[in-house]
Amino acid sequence: MTLATLQTRLTCPFCGPRHLSEFVFHKTVAPPNASPFAEVYERIDNPNLSIEHWQHVRGCRSWLRVHRNPSSGSVLEIHLLGAAI
Amino acid sequence: MRGASPHYSAWSLLRARIKGHGYWQPLWTGHKLQEAYDVVIVGAGGHGLATAFHLARDHGIKRIAILEKRLVGYGNVGRNTTIVRSNYLLPENHYFYEDSLRRWATLSRDLNYNVMYSPRGVLDLALSEDEMSKAARRGNAMRLAGIDAELLDRAALKRYCPELDTQRARRFPIVGALLQRRGGTVRHDAVAWGYARAASALGVDIIEDCEVTGVRSTAGMASGVETTRGYVEAERIVFATAGHTAMIGSMLGVPLPIETHLLQAMVTEPIKPLLNTVLVYVYPGHGETYICQSDRGGLVMGGMLDGFPSYTREGRWDRMEDVVEGAVDLLPHIAGCKILRHWAGTNDMTMDGSPIMDRLRYDNVFVNAGWCYGGFKAIPASGAAFATFVATGSAPDLIKAYRLSRFTTGHLLDERGGGPFPVRL
Amino acid sequence: MSHRDTQAATRVGTRIANKSIKFSFDGQEYLAQSGDTAASALLASGVREMGRSVKYRRLRGLLAAGPEEPNALFTVGNFPNIIPNVSAPQLVLRNGMALRSQNRWPSLKWDVASLLQAGGGFLGAGFYYKTFIWPSWKTYEKLIRNLAGLGAAPGVCSLSPPKIMYASCDVLIAGAGPAGLAAALAAARAGANVWLIEREPVVGGELEFEASEIDGLPGAQWIAATLAELARRDVKIFTDTTIMGGSSDLIIAHREAGGIAGNNAVYRMKPRAMVAAMGAVERPIAFVGNDRPGVMLINAAEKFLARYGVKIGHELVLFANHDRVYAAAARLQAGGMRIRAIIDTRLTASETIPLRGDLMRSGIHCLLNTAVLATIGGNRITGVKIAPLDAPHQVRTLACDSVLVSGGWSPATAQLTQSHFIAGAEHGCLELNAALHDGYTAGRTAAQVAGKTDLSGTAPRGHGDLTPSLMPFWRSPSDPIREKYQFVDLQNDVTVADLRAALAEGFNDIEHVKRYTTLGVGTEQGRTSGLLGAGIVAELKGDPLTKVITSRERPPYYPMTLSSLAGLRVNGALRPTRKTALHQWHESNGAVLESMGLWMRPRYYQANGADAFTAGIAEARRVRSIGGIIDSSTLGKIEVAGPDAAAFLDTIYLSKASTIKIGRSKYMVNLREDGMVLDDGIVLRLADDRFLATVSSGHAEHMLSHFEYYCVARHYPTISDIRAVSVTDVTESWSVIAVAGSTSRHALAQVLGNEWLAKIAQLTHMDFAVGLFQGHDIKVLRASFSGELAFELHCRPTHTLALWEGLVAAGLLPYGLEALDILRVEKGYLVSSEINGQTTPFDLGMDGLVKQKNTCVGRELLNRPAFHEASRPRLVGLKAVDGKSKFLAGAQLIGSLAPRPCGHVTSTVYSPTLKEWIGLGLVARDYALGDIVRAHDPLRSGNTRVLLVSPVHLDPSGARMKSMSRAP
Repeated sequence: MTLATLQTRLTCPFCGPRHLSEFVFHKTVAPPNASPFAEVYERIDNPNLSIEHWQHVRGCRSWLRVHRNPSSGSVLEIHLLGAAI
Repeated sequence: MRGASPHYSAWSLLRARIKGHGYWQPLWTGHKLQEAYDVVIVGAGGHGLATAFHLARDHGIKRIAILEKRLVGYGNVGRNTTIVRSNYLLPENHYFYEDSLRRWATLSRDLNYNVMYSPRGVLDLALSEDEMSKAARRGNAMRLAGIDAELLDRAALKRYCPELDTQRARRFPIVGALLQRRGGTVRHDAVAWGYARAASALGVDIIEDCEVTGVRSTAGMASGVETTRGYVEAERIVFATAGHTAMIGSMLGVPLPIETHLLQAMVTEPIKPLLNTVLVYVYPGHGETYICQSDRGGLVMGGMLDGFPSYTREGRWDRMEDVVEGAVDLLPHIAGCKILRHWAGTNDMTMDGSPIMDRLRYDNVFVNAGWCYGGFKAIPASGAAFATFVATGSAPDLIKAYRLSRFTTGHLLDERGGGPFPVRL
Repeated sequence: MSHRDTQAATRVGTRIANKSIKFSFDGQEYLAQSGDTAASALLASGVREMGRSVKYRRLRGLLAAGPEEPNALFTVGNFPNIIPNVSAPQLVLRNGMALRSQNRWPSLKWDVASLLQAGGGFLGAGFYYKTFIWPSWKTYEKLIRNLAGLGAAPGVCSLSPPKIMYASCDVLIAGAGPAGLAAALAAARAGANVWLIEREPVVGGELEFEASEIDGLPGAQWIAATLAELARRDVKIFTDTTIMGGSSDLIIAHREAGGIAGNNAVYRMKPRAMVAAMGAVERPIAFVGNDRPGVMLINAAEKFLARYGVKIGHELVLFANHDRVYAAAARLQAGGMRIRAIIDTRLTASETIPLRGDLMRSGIHCLLNTAVLATIGGNRITGVKIAPLDAPHQVRTLACDSVLVSGGWSPATAQLTQSHFIAGAEHGCLELNAALHDGYTAGRTAAQVAGKTDLSGTAPRGHGDLTPSLMPFWRSPSDPIREKYQFVDLQNDVTVADLRAALAEGFNDIEHVKRYTTLGVGTEQGRTSGLLGAGIVAELKGDPLTKVITSRERPPYYPMTLSSLAGLRVNGALRPTRKTALHQWHESNGAVLESMGLWMRPRYYQANGADAFTAGIAEARRVRSIGGIIDSSTLGKIEVAGPDAAAFLDTIYLSKASTIKIGRSKYMVNLREDGMVLDDGIVLRLADDRFLATVSSGHAEHMLSHFEYYCVARHYPTISDIRAVSVTDVTESWSVIAVAGSTSRHALAQVLGNEWLAKIAQLTHMDFAVGLFQGHDIKVLRASFSGELAFELHCRPTHTLALWEGLVAAGLLPYGLEALDILRVEKGYLVSSEINGQTTPFDLGMDGLVKQKNTCVGRELLNRPAFHEASRPRLVGLKAVDGKSKFLAGAQLIGSLAPRPCGHVTSTVYSPTLKEWIGLGLVARDYALGDIVRAHDPLRSGNTRVLLVSPVHLDPSGARMKSMSRAP
């Protein structure tokens, strides 16, 4: 038996750990200080660290900045989007 | 001719039966990696193998190597739902995929390898009059491009696919469908093996367990690739590593409009023929299921992306449930059958949903990527056209639109109108 | 009625007495005892042939006694209500059950396609890749599809949805064999809340037949004592339940009792720690004719004897590569079966087996360094050929009717995460005491991970069968020509010859071999064939086994019924149904409702015509002549409030919201990040710091997220500050009734009351007024989606019906979406057919909005050159040149400048006012109004010459919309 390493719970800063199905991924973020074009089209796709915007859409609806490892599926950090980091 | 694999036919099976062991030869031979090649292709998936085949056969290029990190056909060519079709809306896409579909029809003979092209029809189900109009828009565009398409109303759908109960009270009634009869399925693994065999017979070196780790350049041109088996000099380098293209982008220092997402597929235990076509069912509330029955009898199904970047090939459980939910809604009588196996592939998702076939960073580095959901069905056309591009240095008309600069110029190929987001909010 | 009943000969002891169940197999009726599985009852009735293999259609019996059974799969039920591919050893019989064997025609005994066997090597691995090329695969496909497959295709299915249960526990233990039970004891004694999951209907694993003693008690008594203790400690035990998959933090278990879908349950479990003690699966050895009915795994024979009292044969030869075979032989002998010989491939057996001496003294040939080379017989085994391994040509024959085989055990390969532990046989502890100790330790560690600290208590101690002392042995020696009868995967007929052929054809990696030969892809999921095949491939290649095993198991770990995966979202519950406050009124007044997203909306009212087309025209005509009302409550409504509300809206709309005056509204457009038009709607300014934005019904959820995103997304150059703004979805807080037509103002005043008269009279286009209706908030917005003088009433859902009925009483009858579409196309208003995600504001004729130079999301990318090329489309109106021909949305437009389409028809309607078909379209800019193009519609046999006109077909000056009202 092989269990997936994918983490199926995300810890929302407001709601605590909630199942993946409550959240929706929006995009991987562009490089810092990107041009308007790069902001829309260029994605940093790093197999070990993906920085992403998600929304807790079937929960408190907060927007989140999520750091994940897309090779293992584990969630590294979650912050509220827009809050001071 | 290095490949000694005999010509395949019923006759050869008989001869093998008489001759016994030693008659069949390896489909492809793992040659020794040479120091230099005219063309080095990275990735022995469908696209890499097909490109090599056409470079050797159509353009007479002699020294070709395919470097594969793992095994021939280990990636998405063997991890899809085997559907082939050319029912695309945009001309750039439907002409390209139609070229592919025509090649699928004769590929078994071209490769002397049965890839089991089964033109059983692909039905895109429509759930409202509005969806029927949208299906008509696409179907008419196809027909005017010489591609077969039919718009079926409910009665015609019932005739074409009696196994689908359109009369039942449904949460979303099925109004009709867009049918492409020549669409259907192809045995996925056979495609990789057939191209590998044919390429090998033309002298292409297929090197498995050889990972490319970097690109060397001199004077503004790429000069070769670093691999886990040492440095290989190359006049031209082709990347056909969909699913891992983003890494190629970082290797070359070019940010790409690609996110890498996971797409699941699954199959039931085999049962006798139950579904004789391919059904595509997209319904409100992010529902999506496509389903067909393999020749072995398993119901093969897939749906939406897992919904976030992933390199794991481990699908989320709830996506499997989503796919099955759509399948059971379409065909309630299959609810007592069982899912047997499940797999997942990593997809290059571009920011307009269409592929990228272009040079990357250097004039002699070519990248074939961003296939989104369409990589498998594109293989024959992609191989032929990309080989021409690599051999002649100029992209044939068929793939000109797939240049990377289209994002900057705005010549987007957004088939679904979803914009620069592989996953819809 | 003739019941086959030969059970007296095959049942042991008291089990013969209680025959209460009748069932049928291939039309023949049989008797069974309660608790019998299909396999045990048929074996007891002397039936050995239970199916045919997929490829060669060879007659097959039982190999195993669990889900790993490759051959005895039955179709249960009577067509059309059948469930195919049910594993016979798991299927618990119920009275009247009808079972059918599979892969045979016309009967199990006589199968036409079994002639394929004659093909032998001709149909070797991958033969289908080498032939069926001419003339095309299609020629052969139908025949091959009919030959392939296992069970029949069901015609209906009457399963009810599963129970779904969410649970969390401290320690989840998978497998209730000795190791799992010990783990449960340890974790429960430490105070953990424990769940114990067992795939079988009973707990105990191999203690069921293994001669054992634990803590001074015989195995069965220890189990009873353990269950009592676990019950005292509130351990929840789930039998018939299997772990199907999941990830590190969510485990999915599935209950399917009796081996067939029925009252299924799905458990979604969040354990703090987990112990996997799911044992190991016995695997066969490949030898010639090892697929004949009568060749069975030793474990299976023991289980049939112990659980069902069934003797699987009379004269047995046992064939193994380990010490366990001797204890098994002794038990089978004690059960009344005659053991002819024990064939052990090893050079020596452990000296510590006193049993072996006893067995030899009782007349059993116990041969070492020997192998079974082949079975002899027709459909039934009459004997075996054996030979010493160092002299394989010295073949001897032994008579027997069954061969029991064991080539060792394949553990469930485990790759668990940090809080999960493996124990017992799955962990390689095949000896009882080791398994108990391993399980106990794992259970205790798991409890510790779950935060329990009381770790007193000691592991149970016991002894049972010896450590197997296995010698790897995968296949018996064979003449290469006979390797095609050495079966590795019995379901898919993969033989040693096939594996050899795959290697010869260059499929060197096990992953390739599996895909090429179909090894282990059947319903047994490689349980009996996977490791065996890998072992043989390694042997053929001369590689160590570890170099060969690479592939890993994927969920579901066992075949899982679709109905359980689909869960509760079936039939009408596929998606929730959203209903407006007027839903019931619509239903009881003859509305034909249709799904729009999740909403239900009236398409037309039957009183106005028999079909949508007729009724739509009648309703639209009435709106233009008198007026009408439509339920627009599905309109998305987002309230935006806060000091920065205006500035915020400025950043997400193409034109400025900050210039809207309080009490005024404005038609506004959102761009997507890439510059395409995302949505449109009316934005009302309620107060200095408060707006109400309306968004399209179908887009409402997406737009809400879009709004919320730009409240906080700081990366966007124009949105660098955190906004003091809040965004609230008020879609369901307000119903919307659109009142349209020349009598609307009059009717409105009549319904809302005199205090509204003046207010309404003062409203100019895009003004709104707020006030009360029956004491509740209401907004009256003068805006039109029909081109008539019209108002949108935003009222509370509780008072919508009263307002609606009042309007009806005042003479305004309802219209549906069909009429709405006619009215808006006449006016050139846009819906998702035009705002389709592929159109820029320039395409849609919104150049004026762009020119306002408001900096907003998506604006920067509008400058891309392609957006300004002549080939880009432009919104136009369309009408048939002859003034009467019909043309339809979805037609492609072809003009004189190029042979390829220059655009398409986005919407068409028959206009009762203009008395002709009119439409909207998107046409390349190098065509001008007044040009004639063809609307090609080959799908619907349409080909109409159409004229490009202004998108506003009716009343271009807007006089009607801006007009004063008149009395009805």
